[in-house]
Amino acid sequence: MPEFLVTLIPLCPLLACLAITVLGPKLLKENSHWLTILGNAAAFVCALSALIALTSTSMIPQGHRTFELYKWMSLPASANTGALDIAITLHLDSMSAIMLTMLTFVATLVAIYASSYMHGDPGYPRFFACVSLFTFSMIMLVLSGNFLQLFMFWEAVGLCSYLLIGFWYEKPSASAAGMKAFLVNRVGDFGFAIGIFLIWIHFGSINYADTIFNPELLAKVAAANPGLLETICLCLFAGAVGKSAQFPLHVWLPDAMEGPTPVSALIHAATMVTAGVYMVARCTNLYMLAPHAQLVVSIIGGLTALIAALIGLTQTDLKRVLAYSTVSQLGYMFLGLGTGTFLGIGGAMFHLITHAFFKALLFLGAGSVMHAMGGVIDMRHFGGLRKLMPKTYATFLIGSLALAGLFPLSGFWSKDTILASVRMAAHPEAHAADSHAAATDGHDAHGKQAAVGHDDAHAAVSSVDRTNVKLFGIRATVWYEILFWVGSFTAFLTAFYTFRAVFMTFHGEERIPEEAGHHAHESPSAMTTPLIILAIGAAFLGLALGHMTGIFDGFLDKTVHGVAAHHAADWFVIGLSTVAAIAGIGLAWVMYAERSGVPAAIAQSMMPLYRLSLNKFYFDELYYIFLVVPVMCLAQFSRFFDWIGVDGLVGFVSRVPGAVAKLARPIQNGLVQFYALSMMLATAMLLWALLVRPGW
Amino acid sequence: MTSDPFILQAMVILPLLGAVGVVAASQMGVGLKFIRQLVLMNVLITFVLSLGLVTGYDPTKTNASGELQLLQFKSEILWLGSPANDVDPSQPKIVGPDIRISLGVDGISLWLIALTALLMIPAVLVSWEAIQERAAIYYALMLVLESGMIGVFASLDIILFYIFFEFTLIPLFFMIGLWGGYDRRWAARKFFIFTLAGSLLTFLGLIFIVLSHSWMLEAMTGRSSPLVFSIPHLIEHFPRLLAEPQNAAYWANVSPWIFAALFAGFAIKVPLFPFHTWLPLAHVEAPTAGSVLLAGVLLKIGSYGFLRFALSMVPGACWWALDFVAILCVIGIIYGALLALAQDDIKKLVAYSSVSHMGFCMLGLFAFNNIGITGGMLTMINHGLSTGALFALVGMLYERYHTREIDAFGGLATRFPIFAFCFILVSFSSIGLPGLNGFTGEVTALLGMFKTRPVYGILSLSGIIFGAWYMLQLVRNTMYGRLKEPLTEGHGHPAMAAHGAADASHGHAVHPHGHAAPVFATHHTDLNLRELAALAPLLILIVWIGVAPQYFISKMEPSIAQVVKGLEAARPANK
Repeated sequence: MPEFLVTLIPLCPLLACLAITVLGPKLLKENSHWLTILGNAAAFVCALSALIALTSTSMIPQGHRTFELYKWMSLPASANTGALDIAITLHLDSMSAIMLTMLTFVATLVAIYASSYMHGDPGYPRFFACVSLFTFSMIMLVLSGNFLQLFMFWEAVGLCSYLLIGFWYEKPSASAAGMKAFLVNRVGDFGFAIGIFLIWIHFGSINYADTIFNPELLAKVAAANPGLLETICLCLFAGAVGKSAQFPLHVWLPDAMEGPTPVSALIHAATMVTAGVYMVARCTNLYMLAPHAQLVVSIIGGLTALIAALIGLTQTDLKRVLAYSTVSQLGYMFLGLGTGTFLGIGGAMFHLITHAFFKALLFLGAGSVMHAMGGVIDMRHFGGLRKLMPKTYATFLIGSLALAGLFPLSGFWSKDTILASVRMAAHPEAHAADSHAAATDGHDAHGKQAAVGHDDAHAAVSSVDRTNVKLFGIRATVWYEILFWVGSFTAFLTAFYTFRAVFMTFHGEERIPEEAGHHAHESPSAMTTPLIILAIGAAFLGLALGHMTGIFDGFLDKTVHGVAAHHAADWFVIGLSTVAAIAGIGLAWVMYAERSGVPAAIAQSMMPLYRLSLNKFYFDELYYIFLVVPVMCLAQFSRFFDWIGVDGLVGFVSRVPGAVAKLARPIQNGLVQFYALSMMLATAMLLWALLVRPGW
Repeated sequence: MTSDPFILQAMVILPLLGAVGVVAASQMGVGLKFIRQLVLMNVLITFVLSLGLVTGYDPTKTNASGELQLLQFKSEILWLGSPANDVDPSQPKIVGPDIRISLGVDGISLWLIALTALLMIPAVLVSWEAIQERAAIYYALMLVLESGMIGVFASLDIILFYIFFEFTLIPLFFMIGLWGGYDRRWAARKFFIFTLAGSLLTFLGLIFIVLSHSWMLEAMTGRSSPLVFSIPHLIEHFPRLLAEPQNAAYWANVSPWIFAALFAGFAIKVPLFPFHTWLPLAHVEAPTAGSVLLAGVLLKIGSYGFLRFALSMVPGACWWALDFVAILCVIGIIYGALLALAQDDIKKLVAYSSVSHMGFCMLGLFAFNNIGITGGMLTMINHGLSTGALFALVGMLYERYHTREIDAFGGLATRFPIFAFCFILVSFSSIGLPGLNGFTGEVTALLGMFKTRPVYGILSLSGIIFGAWYMLQLVRNTMYGRLKEPLTEGHGHPAMAAHGAADASHGHAVHPHGHAAPVFATHHTDLNLRELAALAPLLILIVWIGVAPQYFISKMEPSIAQVVKGLEAARPANK
């Protein structure tokens, strides 16, 4: 596996970005997209060959490899600190290879789609420069070999997101949404950075190889500082909560829909928002030693999944429905990650991949609708488009079925695995033998020769006693039991709101808004071809790579050993989630297939709940009242305080010499009589003191 | 590379010669065009010399006996008194001050000198059209200022340092007071009094160091000893003197007072909370070049002073003051950011952001380990670049519209795409986006502080949220949204109107076309070539230090390790 092939993966999009930035505005103009497509496609080819190389043990025998590009910062050890050694590295293993392949593939399709979607926009080159910059940053994030590089590109993708959300910067709502996204992410990054600093203090390094890939050290540090790993995990998770739009920092993602739709598909559905999931999965070894933090991850994930689904029920903006759905699905991934089972971690990673396909598909489909409707995206203003846009409809339907989790589409396999893992965590005794088998299996299969491997983690993992883990006085198993039912109920809600959107948009009588004008037709092939390709993925990915074949888990097992352990299909979960999906679709059909008075009547009868959902649980308002307003007041107060308090004090001090002089000045008034009088008075006082009170 | 001391001498003298030349030329009736070119040429030559300094500096250089030679480009002339001789007892006893004109650079001053020489280029270029009245004097003052700033960093003698230190004050006082905005007189006076008051106390502290050194030497050797003013000599010999228990006890009593005296001047210069109130006023009223140099270089004299004198000469007292200074830094970081959030003048916002950023810098220095101090040093450079660039950009906007009111602008990205690109890039550098310079310095400073006192690290980290808040709000309000431009044609430039009368008596310095026309010539156009040339070097370094800072670090690291060694030796048992 030549190093330069791996280096090419980030290099191609970077070169594309630089070339468009320099040549775009004057030279390339409406041809700028070629460079982005070319760069992304080349990166995809390289990523795919890296993936294939990883499958063969002859090319990369250890299953992972780190290439150092250059030293970013290197300080030798000094009197009171150890050495600081931070390099920009490319760490290739099966987990990063999976992410890269998906990322570059979706990015290529989105770039092709956008070449048509963005046609005629005055910022055309700027758009593609930003998309290429994003692809580069995301690739570097995925390939990081240390926490600082991860953080650097974590922020860099945030920048791209900011620039692309605010792409139409003349629109005040777009620039506000971009700023909101960046700031909310910064709040999460505050925690993330503290986590990294804690790792640096206690491990003396921030390289993966010296921390999360070193199970012996992890176990040693955990033993020496009880509770430390829990704190680190929670801090890192704060970053993930921001980036992956989890409760309570989910508020930026729906607003991010102000950006062009291809951006929503690529950044705010398929790739960047999954960075949090990727990071937590990457730190599996760390989280495995922090059962409380894992429980928190699951609870936040489950709660987010439910809340976002509830909000999604009443939204009328098609893109916002999908945005809340993304928040909800990301919640599922965290739900799986937090179970502390290899089933859950594998399921979360698999859901990440399948979700990328079907959600990118749904967003691009929504974009296709928006394109045809002249920019209108409110579902109340159009309907019955299935005849007008057959390709969009068919692909959107496939995506929706996958999202709803219907057999045999991809969403079914991944969501099912997550729910099964939660149920497993709720009933550990029933699966004890199973997970133990997984642990020993992973341990024995790989042995000691893999130096930087993750194998020994299992010894540590099984040593952590999960039976007595409690949060708020409730045992972990009870929490997981609750979360399982929350997840299943969310599956029902998901199916319902997804098909509500499908029926409102594509079924019923055909209605087209005025804004559509002559645009109201199927989108050009540059837009529909990516839809079809993604639809194929959304339909068959689960069948091809899921538990039927075990390919995905088998491959991921090279990084997270134990994932591929065989486990019996949980028929109870399969049955339950299928019933939930069908029930959700059925209810949506009854309520929305034909325009009826039913939804309005229900809304009327549950007005407070309806309002709560419609207004997104008033999160924005709460943040405004309890965060933005106080900070602004504090800022104004500081300004006042600086003027009166600090500067006033300085002014006061500077006036002291003058004031003292002023006090003394009247004495020197030049009147001889005054001088004579004071002289006499003073002499009298002196005499009095000397004669009358000689005791002094 | 040879380390030819001539380079450093030339960098101090050349701007002075240039200043004389400019004044002489204007007396001979040479026009503004030629004067500007003369000044630019002078500044460029100095910059090229600084490149020679940077590339010629070898951090691994050793002398014949294998010791590291961190001080390079050294030269000295005896100026007053007699050479010190406290090492060799066989020599005759010599008493008296030993003051020398001695110059030299180590890995710390090297970068600050280079920064000064670099920032002079944009400083001249942004004044190109803006300064029309008495331009010769203006440029002469600027060159004198450059010489002073380079001299401060290059001095190896306390008296020389102090002379240059005060030397920087006077040109800037006149630049603010004569070419400043509406409230320029008051701003100049406040700036002057503040800085002077502090620097007098600092001078007392410095003199006390010299005296203490002499007294302790006498106590040790029993002979009366000369007053040594050499900075490297003092730094090197203090630990040796403190080996004597009697001296150590004396020093433990005295050094906190010395620290307090040094602190008074340097804290005002940095500025640390609550000594910052002169800064926004001085910035707002100063002409653009004045702001660029004030924020870019002059504030660093404060942090450089801490590093060179406080941390190196009274390390024990620094440990004693650690919590006090760190708390002031944390307050400054958050309070400065909050103040920036509440401003409605762009320049004031940037000025208050300086308070916040310099807090990070000082926090890094007071981490007392090589990571933190490296971070502090990087933050000094980075803040100089980013804030210098921001002030230059604000100045360019002001030249077009004659206002800096945030609310007066909107959607400028549509009108000036290149300007907006530069502005947003520099804003993100200030926000601390990884890949740009601001992040490199701040993350390293914080890493260092986390090692020493995690709690201050965590508290100041919240500054990154507010930092993003005020900068993004500024970008959003001015660059994004619908195009909104202030109406300027009817309004005059207040300072300019005031100068109009004065011009009559200084007819020779007035541009032949009058002062209004060239100012409005750039109205409604994007950045021109001159403005781009002013920004380009800053932007290149902003990206370079962000992407690959190791080159910069490798040159400063051994010198910082030296300081850390002294700090570690003086570390009290309970800290």
